[in-house]
Amino acid sequence: MILQKTLAKSPRLEAWMELLELASGLFLLGFLQFHLFNVSSIILGPAYFDHDHNWMVYTGIPLVVLAIGVHGVVAMRKAPWQFQEARIFLQHSKRLAHLDTWAWLVQIITGFLVLILAAIHIFSVLHNWPIEAVKSTARVQGGYFSFLMLLLLVAEIHAMVGLYRIMVKWSWYKRQKFTPYLVYSTMFFVGLGFITLLVFYFRSLPKGLS
Amino acid sequence: MAERLLTFDIFRYNPATPEIPPRMQEFQLEETVGMSLFIALNRIREEQDPSLMFDFVCRAAVCGSCGMLINGRPGLACKTLTQDLGEKITLMPLPVFKLVGDLSVDTGVWFRYLNVRTEAWIHTDQVFDPKGLEERMDNPTAHRIYEAERCIECGCCIGACATANMREDFIGAAFLNRIARFLIDPRDERPAAHIFEVVGTDEGVFGCIGLMACDDLCPMEIPLQGQLAYVRRKMALVALRGK
Ligand code: HEM
Ligand code: FES
Repeated sequence: MILQKTLAKSPRLEAWMELLELASGLFLLGFLQFHLFNVSSIILGPAYFDHDHNWMVYTGIPLVVLAIGVHGVVAMRKAPWQFQEARIFLQHSKRLAHLDTWAWLVQIITGFLVLILAAIHIFSVLHNWPIEAVKSTARVQGGYFSFLMLLLLVAEIHAMVGLYRIMVKWSWYKRQKFTPYLVYSTMFFVGLGFITLLVFYFRSLPKGLS
Repeated sequence: MAERLLTFDIFRYNPATPEIPPRMQEFQLEETVGMSLFIALNRIREEQDPSLMFDFVCRAAVCGSCGMLINGRPGLACKTLTQDLGEKITLMPLPVFKLVGDLSVDTGVWFRYLNVRTEAWIHTDQVFDPKGLEERMDNPTAHRIYEAERCIECGCCIGACATANMREDFIGAAFLNRIARFLIDPRDERPAAHIFEVVGTDEGVFGCIGLMACDDLCPMEIPLQGQLAYVRRKMALVALRGK
């Protein structure tokens, strides 16, 4: 027995951390795709975009910010924080040349990027409250197009690699079976987001707003 | 088959002579028909360098002693044919395990320690009756146990695992697979909560981040993804029930 390790050991808490990672990841995944569908309503026209959805954003935004905080902490708890661990991980990944192993690095880097980009994104939307088609159009045309494209790509890759990881760790299905479907869904969501951004970009604005 | 001249780049280090630092050493050898790494290494030792250390016992993918990094990936040297590799072959010992010398590592101590820690044997109050009939088990259960039992403890899944490489006390796929075997076995009367104390932890199944190198590289092709997920679900249920 080693005193400090035995005292600090708590199987129950360690299991709950993992369940929290699962729950927060799934919640954010659900949010991300739901959010994307909502925003893509601009494809149908501003009337669909501008309906009253305030209750949704007023409860949604604090919840998502909270979830990102919780998820960020629990999902990052196993990252190779120590310099030596990071070197071991990188050397191991290079030797092994194994896609799933590299995907973890992708997950950590995209996680960090989402944290930064989403913070800017939420701030820029709150700064110019409330959400309206004209304002969003002005934002996309005013230089946010490539920023939002980057956020879309990074968030979708992170979320779908995360979903893959969850299915691998928890599900009954062989990964060789479900991987293609995850790749198709990722292409679908990125495509939908891209079209949405294009629609915003090419919409004409009332004079004086552009 | 065209004769190839193979170049072996082999890790050399002997803990008994620490003044000579770890290094890679090149050997050349003419390929022969059906040559396995077992044959190649033995010829190098016989013809070129008698001090080269490596392990083999069965030469038939049964004993699990010849696991090593073949071009960076864990595999059994006796099961690997040179014809499936390029002309340049890099051989290194398995990581995580203690180095005996050159390509030889001590997997025994590691496996023995975990066998004890996870109490990898049937726990039952029933007294064995040597004269009685053997208890029957239904076929699907027996098959599932047998699937897990095919593990030869070569350590390839451990060497392939990023978590095991980074964190010394992680029990790895070999033991999670072993645990699955006892969770399936109806003769083991241990409640899942008992196993949870050792396995429902970050050194156990919740330390696994699901990178699946174990599943991809297991020389026995044990379906480790399924075995690990099974243990994970069982352990999560214990945590959720609070007992
Ligand atoms: C839109 C926002 C996000 C979504 C949809 C999302 C989704 C997911 C999902 C589904 C997983 C898999 C969870 C698991 O394996 O149990 C995951 C893992 C991960 N996430 Fe996120 N996440 C988001 C934001 C973030 C942020 C902001 C960070 C960093 C601060 C982050 C860092 C990570 C890391 C490091 C992992 C890997 C954990 C592991 O494999 O152990 N994520 N994410
Ligand atoms: S020598 Fe026994 S497994 Fe290779």
